[in-house]
Amino acid sequence: MVRNIVILGGNSHPQLTESICNILCIPPSNRILSKFSGGESRCEIKDSVRGKDVYIIQSGSGNVNDNLIDLCIMISACKTGSAKRVTAVVPLFPYSRQPDWPYTKSGAPLTQSSGSTKKDYTFESVPATPRPGAPRSAGLTNGVNGLAEKLTKTSLANDGTNGATTNGNTNGNGGDHFPTPRRSDTISSNSSATRGHHAEGSTSSQRSYTTHDYENPHNVNAFQSKPGYKQWVAQAGTLVADLLTCAGADHIITMDLHDPQYQGFFDIPVDNLYGKALIQNYIQTSLPKYQDAVIVSPDAGGAKRATLIADSLNMDFALIHKERRPTRFTEQRNASMMLVGDVANRVCILVDDIVDTANTITRAAKLLKKEGATKVYALLTHGVFSGDAIARINASSIDKILVTNSVPQSEHRRQCPKLEVIDISPVFAEAIRRVHHGESISVLFQHN
Amino acid sequence: MLDQMANEIKLIAGSSHPELSALVASRLGIDIANTMSLNYSNRETSVSIGESVRDEDVFILQSTAPGDVNDGLMELLIMIHACRTASARRITAVIPNFPYARQDKKDKSRAPISAKLIANMLQVSGCNHVITMDLHASQIQGFFNVPVDNLYAEPSVLRWIRENLSVDNCVIVSPDAGGAKRATSIADRLNTAFALIHKERPRPNVVGRMVLVGDVQDKVAILVDDMADTCGTLAKAAETVRQNGAREVYAIVTHGILSGKAIETINASCLAGLVVTNTVPLGDKAERCPKLKIIDVAGTVAEVRPHKKIPTVQSLIIQQAIRRTHNGESVSYLFNNVPV
Repeated sequence: MVRNIVILGGNSHPQLTESICNILCIPPSNRILSKFSGGESRCEIKDSVRGKDVYIIQSGSGNVNDNLIDLCIMISACKTGSAKRVTAVVPLFPYSRQPDWPYTKSGAPLTQSSGSTKKDYTFESVPATPRPGAPRSAGLTNGVNGLAEKLTKTSLANDGTNGATTNGNTNGNGGDHFPTPRRSDTISSNSSATRGHHAEGSTSSQRSYTTHDYENPHNVNAFQSKPGYKQWVAQAGTLVADLLTCAGADHIITMDLHDPQYQGFFDIPVDNLYGKALIQNYIQTSLPKYQDAVIVSPDAGGAKRATLIADSLNMDFALIHKERRPTRFTEQRNASMMLVGDVANRVCILVDDIVDTANTITRAAKLLKKEGATKVYALLTHGVFSGDAIARINASSIDKILVTNSVPQSEHRRQCPKLEVIDISPVFAEAIRRVHHGESISVLFQHN
Repeated sequence: MLDQMANEIKLIAGSSHPELSALVASRLGIDIANTMSLNYSNRETSVSIGESVRDEDVFILQSTAPGDVNDGLMELLIMIHACRTASARRITAVIPNFPYARQDKKDKSRAPISAKLIANMLQVSGCNHVITMDLHASQIQGFFNVPVDNLYAEPSVLRWIRENLSVDNCVIVSPDAGGAKRATSIADRLNTAFALIHKERPRPNVVGRMVLVGDVQDKVAILVDDMADTCGTLAKAAETVRQNGAREVYAIVTHGILSGKAIETINASCLAGLVVTNTVPLGDKAERCPKLKIIDVAGTVAEVRPHKKIPTVQSLIIQQAIRRTHNGESVSYLFNNVPV
């Protein structure tokens, strides 16, 4: 029983909150966290927090923006409720991983024409980085193409009525109501047809999609950067750090930040726990003859993480080099992966911090099998599994995939027999206990 | 030469209300800046800016689409931050319907003052100026350390009443005590009678008993409020007014959020008409509700265009606000007048 402490759970991961509370032997604090009918978050904290040490557990999964704003509102509610200290416990940090934008040499985004996504489902058909133009569910449902057809139909059907209503109310300005843009195969061919506010104006007839939807080809195709200007994707990293600080967070506890530099964005202490110890423990206890296996990093960015594990367990190490900018547009993307190291007739353990669309690791697994690996295991800290990641993993040559429950995993587990989950609640509970008592938590960074 | 090039208006449209952005842009006679925002498959929002905003006067227009509030908010914050890091000279957030405006006080223990939080978030993301309209409580302006222009839809409302109803026979009714000031101001300007409804609200989005104070017998009652959400209040207020002998009941609200079953409630109510402004995207609601009438405020917001372009298009509130802010002119003119 830990005294003078309040544990509040967000809506993103109730199971984790519960098990952390169980370990700490205190009940989670009573709160209302729902939505008003207009879509604004509603938060009320029922128990007193005056003078207490408050820990708010919210993961950056599911509906990321809702969860982030909820977290900020809860922090601010506790702050105005005279909490002594508010710590945000964010197992998976939202917006910590901003995708890079692949460019051609001329500066235009490397967007494949939609025609090339028509082929049947293969897990290497979509490039790894989430980016506009790529359908979320690649070949599985024929993605954007079917969608675009539906779009065209709905907007055509609505065209007459819609134009008429806007007309009446906007001093004739609705009169420039825009005819449904042609769905063309390439972005560039669309540039003359859809420009500026015209493209925006006609989105009214597509209410079935959120206004900024990844799959809405409309949004993507209307977009063209000004000639001579290399467009860039905004990095939300510092912003999220600033938002949490301005909401009143005094301390952040998180795990395996994608970029360790992220810690520097905050002016408040950030405890970045490592999932490494858990992964290492799993390798040692659950894999027979693990010394003969090879640790493989699926991309250069994770090399450091993987070498650390390999070194401390005295194992061999290999690396997959991922070339994201093929020299020719039509080139098979799979060809741009290279293995550095020897994996023939050995068990491979892929190690990375996050699995999102699962593109990188499934392609890595395929490459490893091709190079003669007997078995491929994948050990990752955060299993986001967005889009059709689960289907992709089921179809891939990965033999077993292991993630922590930094985001809810029960649903994923049901769909994927290859998936195993490590519980991280003891780590976080211990971190909370130590932070609360002012003890060092560096012992949690180590592993035996 | 350089002087002429630099510091133009850049209007960036958030994805919540493309129609309003398009109207404002056409009033200003400029194109909306090229941006794209979308949700990645892990549901994080990503914003790309397709043209330079260096040393420009950036206006970002983002309303709050019902049901999509937090996504829209994050998109706005990311856009502001993106422009800030891209060296914009000044960033003005144009938020016709300020999100979380109703959570503006600590009305219970440990209730969050979310409006204050949003104000802080906007400032932290790098916003230099805020233009909004009919704040639920004008004190929200005090939550900011940057200038806030709180525009009023009142002039447009007055004009609508004068054009569509016979003023002599009207009585302005405030559906709750909080809106009394707004309603009396309109009643004074129209020189009509005024009534007030006292209501009890046991829980949010639920309405209790209502009592009418004032005389509405044989008159056309006009309910005036700043926002209509589920419309439970409005429908019930209309019924109360009707029971007290009003001949006909209209409702005029600035922000027609109309969430949940609002449209059904309105259709089933005894309201003769519901007039809203287009600060909130209405989607197909106008088609589903024949009683719904829409006032355009795009002109008011846009009034900030540089002088040299004025002759091309003249127009209304939002456009005017943007133009006046950009030129450093007074915005208070708009509080009493409808720009033409």
